[in-house]
Amino acid sequence: MTRLSGGLRSSLIIGGQGIRSRKLRTFLSMLSLFLGVLAVVTVQAGSVIAQRALLSDIELTTGKDGTLQVYLPTAPESGSIAMDTVRGRPDAVALTSTQAIIGEPGVRPVNEGGGPIEDGSGAYSTGLSRYCDASGVCRTVEEDQDAAQLPQGNAIELNLQGLSGDLRQFRPFRQQSGEWLDFGSAPSLSPRIVLNTKAAEAFRQVQVPAEMRVNGALANPTPRIVGVVEDGGYQPTAYVRTDELLNWMPVGAIADPNFGGVQLMMSPAASDLEQILRSRLDAAGANMDELTIQPIDSRERMAGQLSLMRWIFLGMAALVLLIGVAGILNVGLATVGERIEEFALRRAVGTPRLLLAAIVLAETLLTGLLTALLAIGAGIVGLKGASWLLAGEEPFLADVQFPWQAGVAGVIAGLAAGVLGGLIPAVRAARIPIATVMRA
Amino acid sequence: MTPLIELTGITKTLTGQERDRTILDGVDLTLHAGESVAVLGRSGSGKSTLLSLIGLFDRADGGRYLLGDKDITRLPERRAAALRSAEFGFVFQRFFLLKHLTAVQNVSMALVNGQGWLPRRKRRARAMAALDQLGIADLAKHKPPRLSGGEQQRVAIARALVREPRILLADEPTGALDTDTGNLVVDALRATTDRGCGLILVTHDRDHAARMSRVLHLADGVLSAPAVVA
Repeated sequence: MTRLSGGLRSSLIIGGQGIRSRKLRTFLSMLSLFLGVLAVVTVQAGSVIAQRALLSDIELTTGKDGTLQVYLPTAPESGSIAMDTVRGRPDAVALTSTQAIIGEPGVRPVNEGGGPIEDGSGAYSTGLSRYCDASGVCRTVEEDQDAAQLPQGNAIELNLQGLSGDLRQFRPFRQQSGEWLDFGSAPSLSPRIVLNTKAAEAFRQVQVPAEMRVNGALANPTPRIVGVVEDGGYQPTAYVRTDELLNWMPVGAIADPNFGGVQLMMSPAASDLEQILRSRLDAAGANMDELTIQPIDSRERMAGQLSLMRWIFLGMAALVLLIGVAGILNVGLATVGERIEEFALRRAVGTPRLLLAAIVLAETLLTGLLTALLAIGAGIVGLKGASWLLAGEEPFLADVQFPWQAGVAGVIAGLAAGVLGGLIPAVRAARIPIATVMRA
Repeated sequence: MTPLIELTGITKTLTGQERDRTILDGVDLTLHAGESVAVLGRSGSGKSTLLSLIGLFDRADGGRYLLGDKDITRLPERRAAALRSAEFGFVFQRFFLLKHLTAVQNVSMALVNGQGWLPRRKRRARAMAALDQLGIADLAKHKPPRLSGGEQQRVAIARALVREPRILLADEPTGALDTDTGNLVVDALRATTDRGCGLILVTHDRDHAARMSRVLHLADGVLSAPAVVA
């Protein structure tokens, strides 16, 4: 132990002396290596930040990794059974989806079909609004003579998502303003809705949220906008409590084709719920082959999207690092050539070959480590600067933290460069013959 | 009394491009504690090669080398390094001081060689003691370029003595010095034998050789019969 400790300490002390006595050379080694390590740190940091941003976006639109998505059979009772099964359960949410028009009464929406509305550029019509009657017969506005005669006015068509519980456990919406739906309170006759940012942008232009027209509703309620969330969607969407929505729908509306069916999201731990749902659907005579339960694979999707780009950038960083290694190697070989007498002398006073090699490696490793710390520091400062300058344009850069993985990658890159660049000089130093040198 | 070192029939041949050249051809040599031996010989006669073999820088082709009662003729490099550290001190014609270190650091560098560990304070104390022994403690903080040749060589001797070796090997230590300074250096070397150290001095200078206990002549690879010097 003492021997190892003595050897290690000796190599560090002599290595440190070597660095101090050749500051310019050490600086030149560090200069070439700095860019390489900085490239690795930048790629790793960029990759981790992009992964987080992408994963966050995917989770917004698709759902958290592992969440189970349940597609029900087409049987008319499926929706009702699903809604009833998940009622009161904190580990599952039933979603209904329908189109609604919110705004001035008696007018056609500015974005027929529910397309996005851009600031100042007017509405995009993604198609004609479709209306279905209680019998399930659907037709477009143009086909509906009454609807076609309506003038276009201050109204927005959007996708209305009815929720049986808090969906944010599966899709972590970012609250932009106001509050989220309160599922603990009694249902209100004036449906509380939360808009996504696209819908909020639309209402900034069309500021008449007077009534909400929902396909198949018994009457048009007046909605209360309680908050705005970022849900990652591109189309105007509003979220509403299903029970508050159903207050205005006829009995059996869940089976109405206007609702677009019921979809479930549930925690992977809710295996009992899955069993209950299967049993009840089976008992109701639903075609069980149509029941599909799929786990959401956000990370896999994200990895697939990022891996190629990451490898390309890492390859480029490795190339820059290799140039840095060549720099260390070059300086290391020149230094060993200059220090032949010193190494021979050290061997003469009893320094083993292995320790001589360790001395040279300690110098290059210390140089690599020092360079890595500088590069990591530069990375942190650069990220802070980018966050400060660009956070307004790129929201994912706001409050972004320097990922520890990038720091580790930088240290590993610096040490690896130190080893690679110092190995050949170390072997040469260890092989210096004492007798030849001391006699010369 | 067991000699410090005992060489018997040592041979060394250097392999050349055209023909091999025998440098040492059956050399016998013993050195006792407190004894000083001078080795004289022409340039290229093999004096430095002999010193390299004794100092374990190199390995003999034949013969036997005893250190005390241990046979170290065939020694792995790792053990040879340990013995160099523990038993030998070396002084060279060129001083081989490290320019970026002060005199005291040059001396204490011999204590940082991976053979055991001494704290910095103890290293410095021992290095200062070695410098003091040679009368140059006041030069401890000077770097080699600011020292004269004689001072540099005395720093080199202090470096050789700092590990308190039993055998001191000096390869033409006065070769780069004027006569007076050379005498001072030889005085310093000679003083080490008073403390029981064995000294082998390779030199061209007959006056310096005459101050040793014994003088040997190396010619044609053969060390001549020892001659007692008055």
